[in-house]
Amino acid sequence: MQTILDATSADQVVIVADHLRKNFPGPVVALDDCSLQVRRGEVMVVIGPSGSGKSTLLRCLNGLETVDSGRIVIDTVPLDDQETHRLAIRRRVGMVFQSFNLFPHLTVEGNINLAQRLVRGRSRTAALATTVSLLDKVGLADALHRYPDELSGGQQQRVAIARALAMHPKVMLFDEATSALDPEMIGEVLDVMRTLAAEGMTMVVVTHEMGFAREVGDRVVFMEQGRIVEQAATDDFFQRPAKERTRAFLGLVV
Amino acid sequence: MSTSRRVSIIRDLVLYVLTCIGLVWLVLRGAEQLGYQWHWRQVAHHLIVMGDGSLTAGPLIRGLLVTMEITLVSLVLAGGIGLTVALLRLSSSRLGRCAARVYLESIRNTPLLVQIFFFYFVVAPLFDIGRTTTAILALSLFEGAYVSEIIRAGIISIGRGQWEACYSLGLSRTQSYRAVILPQALRRILPPLTSQAVSLIKDSALVSTIAVYDVTMAGRTIVADTFLVFEVWFVVAALYLTLTLSLSALASRLERRFPRVA
Ligand SMILES: Nc1ncnc2c1ncn2[C@@H]1O[C@H](COP(=O)(O)OP(=O)(O)OP(=O)(O)O)[C@@H](O)[C@H]1O
Ligand SMILES: [Mg+2]
Repeated sequence: MQTILDATSADQVVIVADHLRKNFPGPVVALDDCSLQVRRGEVMVVIGPSGSGKSTLLRCLNGLETVDSGRIVIDTVPLDDQETHRLAIRRRVGMVFQSFNLFPHLTVEGNINLAQRLVRGRSRTAALATTVSLLDKVGLADALHRYPDELSGGQQQRVAIARALAMHPKVMLFDEATSALDPEMIGEVLDVMRTLAAEGMTMVVVTHEMGFAREVGDRVVFMEQGRIVEQAATDDFFQRPAKERTRAFLGLVV
Repeated sequence: MSTSRRVSIIRDLVLYVLTCIGLVWLVLRGAEQLGYQWHWRQVAHHLIVMGDGSLTAGPLIRGLLVTMEITLVSLVLAGGIGLTVALLRLSSSRLGRCAARVYLESIRNTPLLVQIFFFYFVVAPLFDIGRTTTAILALSLFEGAYVSEIIRAGIISIGRGQWEACYSLGLSRTQSYRAVILPQALRRILPPLTSQAVSLIKDSALVSTIAVYDVTMAGRTIVADTFLVFEVWFVVAALYLTLTLSLSALASRLERRFPRVA
């Protein structure tokens, strides 16, 4: 335990995942001995065919799924059975879903204010100030009083990103944030993610957008059948893939 | 509104009025064949009593007030019981789930009348509770079982994504329920909840069997005294109808005020 904590603080490693295993009844091997580390400010892109365990990996990192074995440490907090640890990690990790998951009964303001007030205990005015500045940042300054169903998919996803950012997370997880969007809206969401990366946010991004992966990703992880087949710096990964499987997949996708 | 819709509404109205006229005609003919004499004026005295130049509520109106009191209190209690039981059934506590299940099945699988008698003859003497309280207790426990199933259905109809969003924002389970899940669930279940409330109003007539002086009991007493069978039961039915229709109207206003369903 001590060694991990030392390592994280020394190297500025924000996410440590060690030998993660996860099975679903079926039985399905969703994660098979996955290990990775993400440094502060790094953007790690996760790619792989459908069903390869990308979502499961991401969902294990914030405790939405529990691993069968292995160890996860986020920003020096171990993700274990202790409720205080789990809560600390939930507060440090923001997540953006493929299906947005905005609260349909609340306005944009209500969506972004809610957790600030309930979890962070901010006053209404303090929360609103954060909300307004974040909406401005994602280019939706005029959407404050709209309801989610009055917004386009791209706008909804940008609100969802603002909602997660309002909690001042140390890490942001994106699970195919643009996969449910019409092509003309993908760009606006990727732009927001690009800005975040440039500002030094630590991000783990599951995506099928290879252009975005090349441009914004610092490291790429390629998964297949629950295993991490290859992980490398972005340039190496795309220009000199080491594994045959990776080359085949890239040939298929690029 | 389009013309075709207007035509169909008019057609429905005409059919409705014709049906009503037909029913009234049937009743009148039946009464005539029985040699029934109508005394509508006398019924008025049982609604409103005029004495010393001032108006006071007659037995029927007083009975109506009792019915309203019982149903209103039972409605609130049934809501509380229903919510508690629904949350228990969805909780991670085995004991809680089991207790909720036992309550639900024992209430749902025995007649309300038997439950009312059980409370009146067994429970009430043991704890020394009054008639009205007994009636309220029995009704709330009975309707609470149905309400709990409605609420549970509403809660599980809310997609997993909403829970996951709450979780990843750091909300506790209680906070998620209060701020996100229940508001959406309640909006969805407003229609079945309204039907259940209407049922409660109608079911409350059964408390007259333990001599609670509700509007049905008032009707029975007056009929026994005056033999104004048709008039009194017509009036009693109309009074119930007024209650239930007002409730439904209130519910549909609520539905229009909160139009957002996921
Ligand atoms: N809740 C679950 N119950 C059972 N099996 C599951 C569950 N979630 C995922 N799986 C299975 O685990 C495996 C990995 O799924 P996962 O969703 O992580 O893949 P993915 O890489 O995200 O795929 P996609 O690109 O289609 O989103 C799949 O075989 C999937 O069917
Ligand atoms: Mg996935």
